Amino acid sequence: MGTDRYAYQSRLRRLDPIAKLTLSFAAVVICLSCGGIWTGICTLIIMGALTTLWGGVRPRVFLRFLRFPMAFLMIGCITIMVNRHPADTPVLFGLPIGGSVWGVTSGSLTHGFGIICKSMGVIASVYFLTLNTPMTDLTFALRRLHVPQLLIELMDLIYRFIFVLSDTASNIRTAQHSRLGYVGFRRSITSLGTLASMVFLRAWSKGDQVYSALESRGYTGILLTLPEEYKKGTACYLAALAVVLIQLLCCFLEVHFI
Amino acid sequence: MKRSLVKVYLLLALLCILPTSASAMHIGEGLLPVGWSISWAVVCLPFIVTGFLSIKKRIGATPKAKILLAMCGAFAFVLSALKIPSVTGSCSHPTGVGLGAILFGPTATSVLGLIVLVFQALLLAHGGITTLGANTFSMAIAGPIMSWVVFKLLKKAKAPVGICVFFAAALGDLFTYVVTSVQLTMVYGGFGKFISVFAVTQIPLAIAEGLLTVVIFNVLTKYSKTELHDLAVM
Repeated sequence: MGTDRYAYQSRLRRLDPIAKLTLSFAAVVICLSCGGIWTGICTLIIMGALTTLWGGVRPRVFLRFLRFPMAFLMIGCITIMVNRHPADTPVLFGLPIGGSVWGVTSGSLTHGFGIICKSMGVIASVYFLTLNTPMTDLTFALRRLHVPQLLIELMDLIYRFIFVLSDTASNIRTAQHSRLGYVGFRRSITSLGTLASMVFLRAWSKGDQVYSALESRGYTGILLTLPEEYKKGTACYLAALAVVLIQLLCCFLEVHFI
Repeated sequence: MKRSLVKVYLLLALLCILPTSASAMHIGEGLLPVGWSISWAVVCLPFIVTGFLSIKKRIGATPKAKILLAMCGAFAFVLSALKIPSVTGSCSHPTGVGLGAILFGPTATSVLGLIVLVFQALLLAHGGITTLGANTFSMAIAGPIMSWVVFKLLKKAKAPVGICVFFAAALGDLFTYVVTSVQLTMVYGGFGKFISVFAVTQIPLAIAEGLLTVVIFNVLTKYSKTELHDLAVM
C-alpha cells in the first residue's frame, strides 16, 4: 500500500532504521528552519538523488509520489498568494472586484513559491525515509527510541489490520459496483453507508477471532517479537552530516548573496 | 452585468478546485514553520496523554479491548480512504471524525486519530509529519470533541437518534476545517480567504458525511446492538 510496497524492494531496507530516521529528520529540520527557495530545491534534489541512486527506487516512482501532495500544496499556496489590494496596486494578474483588486503581486508570488519549494524539500526528505523503510522496521526503531509500548503495539496491530480491512472493503465495493450500487447520489450514500458498517462489523468479529487465537496461544497482554538484524548505519550518519552541511551552505549563500 | 460575469468566473474557478479537495482538511507537509509545528504538537500532548491513559485503563480491565481498538483504528484508516460522493458531484474522502467520537468517545479517538494520521502521512502522503501536531489537533481532538458534545447535548434534548448523529458528524466536520483555517491564518493571515475556499468545498462534504454517518449508524443499530452496548454508545 502506498510507499510501503517500494520500501520492501529498497536497497537500503536492511540498513539500521534509526540511521535512516536520523538522516531524514535532520534534513527536514534544516530545510524547514532555513526555508528559502534554493535550500528547498537543493534538499529536494539531494534527497531525490539519495532515494533513487542509493536506495534504488526508480525515478519514475519517486516523481509519481511527489505529485500526490502537489494538489493540496497548490490550493494552499494559491490561497496564500492571492490577496486583496487597493485598486492602484501593481499586480501581476488579478481581478478588480468592488473598490479593490484581488490578485498576485510579485512579492506574494515569491513568498508562495518559497513555501512550495520548502514544502517539496521536506516532502522529499520524508519520502527518503518511507520509500526505504517498511513500516514494521519503523515501529521497531520507535520502540528502541522508547516510545510507549502500548502505542507501538497499537500501531503494529492497526498496520496489520489495515490490509485485512481494505481487502474486505474493496471486495464489497466491487460487488456493489457490479450491481449499479453507485448510480446517483442517494444510492451512493446508501451503498457506502452499508459498506462502511459491514466493514465495521467484520472488523469487530475479526477482532474477536484474533483475540481468541492469541489467547489460545498463551497471550498475556504483550505481543513480543524477535528484533531483526540490521546493517550498521555508519554510511547513513555520514550522509546525514553531508546533507546538513550542503543545506546550511545553500542557506548561507542564499541569505548573503541572493 | 460585468460584475455578475466576474462572479460566474469566480464560481467556476472554485468549482475547478472542488475535485482536488480530497485532502484539503490536512495541512500539507512543510506548510507550517518550525515554531508552529512544535507548538501545535505541545498543545496536543495533554489530550493525547489523557487518551492514552484512558485506553490503558480500558485495556487493563478487559485485555480484548486492545485488539478491538486496533481494529477500530484500522477501520478509521480504511474509511478515510474510501471515496465519498458529494452533493455537487465531485468526490472526496470522509474524515470519520464524527463516527469515531460517537463510537469510541473523544479520549480514545485522539490516540487512534493520531496513529491514523501518522499512517496517512507516511503511507499515503496525506498531511505530514511536520504538521502532525496541527492536524492531530484539528482532526483528532477539536473535531471529535465538538461531535461528541453535539451528540450528547442533542441526545439529552431527546432528539431522534438520526438527527443527533447527523448533526454530530456534520458539525464535527465543519468545526475541523474551521480549526484548520484558523491554524493556517495564524501563520499566513487572511482568515476570510481560507474559510471561504474551505466553505465552498467542505459544506457539501460535511452534509454528505453527516448523511453517510446516519446510514452507518442505522445499520449498526439494526445488526449489532450488543457491540454498541459494549462501546457504551446506547
